[in-house]
Amino acid sequence: MDEKTRTRVGGADDPREGLEAVVALRRTLEALEAAQVENAFIAGWTWARIAEVLGVSKQAVHKKHAKRIQARYPGEPPVKGGRGQ
Amino acid sequence: MFARFTDGSRECVEAAFEEARRLGHDSLGDEDLLLGILRADDGIAGDALSSLGVTFEAACEESEAMLSDALASIGISFEEVRREAGEVFDMRLPAGRRIPYSSLAKNALVRARREMRSMGDNHLGAEHVLLGILDNEDGPAVRLLARMGVSPGKLEDRMLELRRNGR
Repeated sequence: MDEKTRTRVGGADDPREGLEAVVALRRTLEALEAAQVENAFIAGWTWARIAEVLGVSKQAVHKKHAKRIQARYPGEPPVKGGRGQ
Repeated sequence: MFARFTDGSRECVEAAFEEARRLGHDSLGDEDLLLGILRADDGIAGDALSSLGVTFEAACEESEAMLSDALASIGISFEEVRREAGEVFDMRLPAGRRIPYSSLAKNALVRARREMRSMGDNHLGAEHVLLGILDNEDGPAVRLLARMGVSPGKLEDRMLELRRNGR
């Protein structure tokens, strides 16, 4: 059997470094999601299609991103929310 | 919470919240308080920091370097993530999102009041907030300063020196 390997982040002596990596990753993930949703919007994707790829509901993606993105592109026609679902 | 705060130290706290949001922080950390002081204070605290080479711009760079290092420790390149995401990449929180104080930031403000009293002052200024921040011995702000070559002792000495000189 293979030698037991453990994922060690920052070393056993320093759990803080490992925890801080989680915080840094979470912040970066939020920014990355916002950026990629915006990129998809710029490319003309609908909220429904964006939501499908993200694996979340259209409502969820709309609630989280629509206000910010539509504020940044006031010239764009508002993306229709569809038939409520 | 803000009884006896001067207009200046209130401005620092407001600036700190703006910085925290800009950097995508879920809560206001003591490092954000430090950035707020650097951005908004032109008294003893700001002067002591800048005289030791800690400017707002340099501290922002260091803060990003800390984020980048934390990600590098788990094999992720912040620079690559940012490059791949393109120019729309922004760490800023969505407008209107309210964030709480972190426990260390709260602690710094509580300690600031204690510093004010022990110094015999009647008003709570940015210098007391900075001393409060330095009381978080292993907090993000102190570690950020350490990365810039500034120890709490050195900064305290510089502040007391400026204070004695009637600045």
